[in-house]
Amino acid sequence: MNQRLNLPDWAGRAVACLFGSVVLAMMVGPQQGSQNDYGVGFRQAVLNPRIFYFLLIGVLVFFAITYQDVVRRYASRPGVRPLVAGLLVLLASYFLMRWYDPLGNNAKFAGLADAVASTSGLAPLAKAFFGWLWWVSLVVLVVGIFVAIARRLRALGWAMAGLAVVVGVVALVAHAAAADAGGGIDHSYGAPTALVGYLVLAGAGVLAARSRSETAATREFVERVMAFRPGLPLVLMGLLLGVLALVSATWFAPQQANATLVDTSSLFSGSDASGLSEAFLGWLGYVLFVVVLLAGAAAVWTRNRVVGYVAAGLAAVTILIVLVTLHDISATATEAGYPGADGPWRDLGTGGWLLSIAVFSIGAGAFVAARRAHRPAGADEARGTVTGRLHQAGASTTVLSLALFGIGLALFYPPTATTFWQQALVTDIGVYVLLAIGLNVVIGWAGLLDLGYIAFYALGSYTTAYLTGSLPVQPPSWLQLSPLWAIPVAIAVCLVAGVLLGAPTLRLRGDYLAIVTLGFGEIIRIVAVNNPGNITNGPRGVESAVPHPVIDLGFLRIQWGGNQLQYWYLLLVLLAILIFFFYRLEGSRLGRAWAAVREDEVAAQATGVNTTRVKLLAFAIGASTSGLAGVFFASDIGYFNPQNFILNNSILIVAYVVFGGMGSLTGAIAGAAVLTWLPNFLRDQVPSEDRVMWIGAVLVIMMIFRPQGLIPAKRREAELTGLAGHDPSVRPAVQAVPASEGV
Amino acid sequence: MSEFLNFLMLGLTRGSMYALIALGYTLVYGVLQLINFAHSEVFMAGAFGSFLVVHLVVGEGEGLGGFEQLLVTLLGLVAGAISGAVVAFVLERVAYRPLRRRGAPKLAFLISAIGASFFLSQLFGKLFNRLGNNQFPDYLHKGEVLWTPFGARIKLLQVVIIISAVLLMIFLDRLVSGTKLGRGIRATAEDAPTAALMGVDIDRTISRTFIIGGALAGAAGFLFGYAFVFSNTMGFIPGIKAFAAAVLGGIGNIRGAMIGGLLLGVAENLIPTAPWVGGDAWIGQEWTDVVAFVLLILILVFRPTGILGERLGRAA
Amino acid sequence: MRSTRPATWLVPLALVSALTLSACSNDSSDDKGGGGLGGSGGGETYKIAFQGPLSGDNAQLGINEVNGVQLAIDQANESGDLDFTLELVKADDQGSPEQAPTAAAQVLQDEAVLGVIGPSFSGATKAIGATYGDAGLSFISPSATNPTLSEQGFPTFHRIVPSDNVEGSQAADLFAAKGYKKVVVIDDLSDYGKGVADELQKGLEAKGVAVQRIGVDAKTTDYGSTATQVASAGADALFYGGYDAQAGLLAQALKAANFTGDKYTGNGGKSSVFTDGAGDAGDGWFFTCGCSDATVAPEAKEFSKAYQEAFNSPPSTYSPEAFDAANAMIEAIKTAAEDGAPTRDSVEKAVDGLDYKGITTSVKFDDNGEVDASAQTVNLFVQENGQIKLLGNIKDQA
Repeated sequence: MNQRLNLPDWAGRAVACLFGSVVLAMMVGPQQGSQNDYGVGFRQAVLNPRIFYFLLIGVLVFFAITYQDVVRRYASRPGVRPLVAGLLVLLASYFLMRWYDPLGNNAKFAGLADAVASTSGLAPLAKAFFGWLWWVSLVVLVVGIFVAIARRLRALGWAMAGLAVVVGVVALVAHAAAADAGGGIDHSYGAPTALVGYLVLAGAGVLAARSRSETAATREFVERVMAFRPGLPLVLMGLLLGVLALVSATWFAPQQANATLVDTSSLFSGSDASGLSEAFLGWLGYVLFVVVLLAGAAAVWTRNRVVGYVAAGLAAVTILIVLVTLHDISATATEAGYPGADGPWRDLGTGGWLLSIAVFSIGAGAFVAARRAHRPAGADEARGTVTGRLHQAGASTTVLSLALFGIGLALFYPPTATTFWQQALVTDIGVYVLLAIGLNVVIGWAGLLDLGYIAFYALGSYTTAYLTGSLPVQPPSWLQLSPLWAIPVAIAVCLVAGVLLGAPTLRLRGDYLAIVTLGFGEIIRIVAVNNPGNITNGPRGVESAVPHPVIDLGFLRIQWGGNQLQYWYLLLVLLAILIFFFYRLEGSRLGRAWAAVREDEVAAQATGVNTTRVKLLAFAIGASTSGLAGVFFASDIGYFNPQNFILNNSILIVAYVVFGGMGSLTGAIAGAAVLTWLPNFLRDQVPSEDRVMWIGAVLVIMMIFRPQGLIPAKRREAELTGLAGHDPSVRPAVQAVPASEGV
Repeated sequence: MSEFLNFLMLGLTRGSMYALIALGYTLVYGVLQLINFAHSEVFMAGAFGSFLVVHLVVGEGEGLGGFEQLLVTLLGLVAGAISGAVVAFVLERVAYRPLRRRGAPKLAFLISAIGASFFLSQLFGKLFNRLGNNQFPDYLHKGEVLWTPFGARIKLLQVVIIISAVLLMIFLDRLVSGTKLGRGIRATAEDAPTAALMGVDIDRTISRTFIIGGALAGAAGFLFGYAFVFSNTMGFIPGIKAFAAAVLGGIGNIRGAMIGGLLLGVAENLIPTAPWVGGDAWIGQEWTDVVAFVLLILILVFRPTGILGERLGRAA
Repeated sequence: MRSTRPATWLVPLALVSALTLSACSNDSSDDKGGGGLGGSGGGETYKIAFQGPLSGDNAQLGINEVNGVQLAIDQANESGDLDFTLELVKADDQGSPEQAPTAAAQVLQDEAVLGVIGPSFSGATKAIGATYGDAGLSFISPSATNPTLSEQGFPTFHRIVPSDNVEGSQAADLFAAKGYKKVVVIDDLSDYGKGVADELQKGLEAKGVAVQRIGVDAKTTDYGSTATQVASAGADALFYGGYDAQAGLLAQALKAANFTGDKYTGNGGKSSVFTDGAGDAGDGWFFTCGCSDATVAPEAKEFSKAYQEAFNSPPSTYSPEAFDAANAMIEAIKTAAEDGAPTRDSVEKAVDGLDYKGITTSVKFDDNGEVDASAQTVNLFVQENGQIKLLGNIKDQA
């Protein structure tokens, strides 16, 4: 159309940019349309002086695109990427994140700044920071670093880096002063995030000052760091966190008595707490930390395998002692009737958990060093291909390090989160992560589009409810089970259902299969609503609460249900088993057969793959994972009704898998985690009613800019970018792999 | 007999709207081999767009003469079609074309479309309202009975809807089989790379296919919104049903979509009521969707590419 | 370099700026509390939370209710007879038990929240009743009608609507007394609609009245075939268990299908959304409602007017109930504030001891959290000439 009208390119672009800014204006803000006056929403959004801000954004974007060559030339300078990243982190910290929880609705930076402004007696530095220093410093830093990069002013680069570090520390100190004045329990991450942002800016300044090259090579830089001494970043991280934990973090916090380690030690000296705990609080903690740190550092530096494993072992023992101590002090405090103490594992501050993460991180660093003790054979003699090998070694060390640090966080971070995030972590995020890794088998690996996946989840949940006697129909008394024993039954039921649905329908191709599975999902939900023979209790949901699971081994009794953390650890166990199982499965004969079917069913059949059986297995395995998630969900939440199993949820799970990166286990986990975290995060950012709109926008944008997903599977990535990815050592001819026809 | 006719008319009315929406799915599938999940929001946009225009023109719509009624109906159809076409055009530009340029995997399109669907539906909700009961001014007196053959009650509204839908479908059929654009669409559906070699501008063809599909869905949005109610979430269920209808007829096949839509609409009305059994329903209306989906699954199991098969080129 | 469609650059930049801007605009519109860093529960700002569906399929109901609560809080703040400022916290649970615990956790983590209006749905209530109970946080549901809720032993549970049992069984008595031989009972397959319909069916069958059940999903917009089916069923009366917007559509379809029997719907259908939606097809519809006359009493009229002004739309299903629940909660906080700073416990005690006259009902709770039997009457209303008017206690209407 453009050609016929002879519209120049830039005109279309300008229209698009302005249109985009108007749409943005409609999206942002609290306005809401009305039946009485259909134009009111539009008028409030667009016919309003604020429209000029949005148009300005549109114009800026227009120029950025029009002069993208110039922009790109500057953007590829070393230091620009960290500059942008740091700026984004800081903006997120100042405008999106909470700075001080007890302020509730006003907990973000602006709210805290207002509160600080109206408080007298605060340190002048804190007042200045919250008053003007924060934005002045931000502007100065960003402009300064940019100038340093653009004009290659080394001195300015160093100066800015120094300034950034100082402001970052000031942010932390100012926040601490404000929080001290306010009291109360603060879980917020605004100030630490700001520190991180400033440190990134400082990095940008250093890069501007030091780098001699013309274009940035971020990836190579990271790899070089990782390959220098594998595990070193983990140990450094551990050092940082450990010092924080030992010096400033709260260890014991009933009734807002925020006691650091020293205070806690004096609090418990001479109490009924065991000698080990008292010793730990008094001196053993420091000693152990130093010992672990030294051992870890030695292992990383010498790359000695034995030292590495010894350090990892030491770390494990230390964590154990930390945990014993934490349990001991909380239990002792409760027994002694300390005001506000609620029982074992309650009222603990972040300190103990932070120290655990730190020690775990050091141990993980030592472990990585031990694993990488033998350098790849021949790397030194064949200098010619060293980039390729370096890439490989560096990348896999990065992945291993990140994975280990993630495990450390997953183990010890949740206890420090607010109850809200603990709840969200289990019922929103955890359950859907389970579902996503199950669906990943069906969609990502076997390439079958399943839009009725939630049905198996429903089956699992209702099976659990039946077996625990929570439905109107009671099971025979010999079949009344605790939810944990329902797991095998639910898995079996879903397996059978998967096969029953799959057997007749799996010869259908892509979109036909999609509508059939969609229909199946709806059928299951409608049956649950219509409640034939009073089996499901209809839309009212289960009749009585599904009981919480209990493990009773005589000497050991675990009763779930006290809080969400217990379920979190149960979930971790389930996840670990599943991930191990699926990880093995991916590379197995079956996994390769799935890949073959996905890529080209006819060719797979011709080479002797029994496609029907293979697809059926994928379907059944996916279904049973979903059933397992159903058991977990039902026993965690107690009550559920057919509302939980609507079609929309099926669609969302597909979105999680694709968003994360189809066919990649970590991708599915990351996708589900991010997209289930997002709506909870948005609770603080936009009107609740608008959250779905923003999620939709995020989905579209993600697919436009990263259609392969967050963490794509290697095989999938190859389909989009060619086999070699970014590895320059592979010949270009190999990279030219055609895009796949697969799903 | 009168009962049967009543239900048949109801079914044909609903079915013709399904067919109009299903045509959009099928056209896009033909050229892209993709299910456009955001199509239901195009339909919704048609309802809102036509409402704004009709409301502006007739106000509450009291006391219009016959000719004026016809004009307003045409106006509504056109306004709905334009709004639908505009939204579909933007949708293709934003949510599809960038992905095509990057050679994104098929599921990425699906997710992009789902995201666009969430976005559009909620944006319209924010902009207009989120109530479930917006109504058009009743300028046609939609409850009015036109004539009563065999004691059945045929309403003016039903006749208007069915005639509009049939005219639109005939128009589309001519468009696809008889014009240069239609040849381009069919060629692209048949084999896009070859079509490109033959001088078909693939990008433009795809864009126009979206526009045509969007216009049909937008017109259906007007008819649907006028007949019942409209809201920002109105698209979801008809969208799913129309998708099912398109698959039933053989996705990518234009006449298949028409037949599938009509069949589904009629089946939905006849299944739970089954007038030929006489008197009471043999199965509750709450089971309609179950029966419909079971039938769909059975048909697909025995005819894996739908009733008329897949090819866009072949049927038109 | 793979070429990028230029316009697509627009989006992420725009998104980031948008998030930033939205954060600004939200913050700046927030009303700032008293001076100092008085966040630790002290100060003079107390909060009332609303938990209900604000997004998802059932969002409309939650929006109706949250508007009612917002109005009550705004009016209380403006009235000037409070020694403290009230704030509303919105917690979206999408009406589903799955999301309810997270929403409840969001409410509970804010120490300043002294009472909750909600949850809107029975399933969500079941999922979080014990949690609120453990925290000693009082909650008043404006619309959860499942009869079993008051038997769950949730210590802080209250609701200001009668349970399905009351509404259903009294309607059954009325229908039998009116001498109907056959009644069509339609429900919308929701927790509420099906609950009322089930009770009604049970009551009618016990009295020997023939019942035909039809279930129509609440998301349906085309009631043509349902209405035709009803018209051909030869029934004396019809009862619709469901909400107002759908009831309005059903009324239109029934008129078009020439159904001549008596038409009833329950509490969920009685609102101006029904009268607007149904138009003159709604004339002659009866409403059974466990509420007093919300259209005649002057306070009720004021409420309708204020609601219309504040939200640009008429009050809909459960808006008045939510308004009442919020006012009752405010009353309780006032009572609790008389003896020092109110706490969750003292507010809960005050709620238990309430005796407050609202626009839909007298708020006085019994031990189970139900509205006290003495205050609970089910009334019959009818629409005439587009207005809903009171006929009187349902027991006297035969």
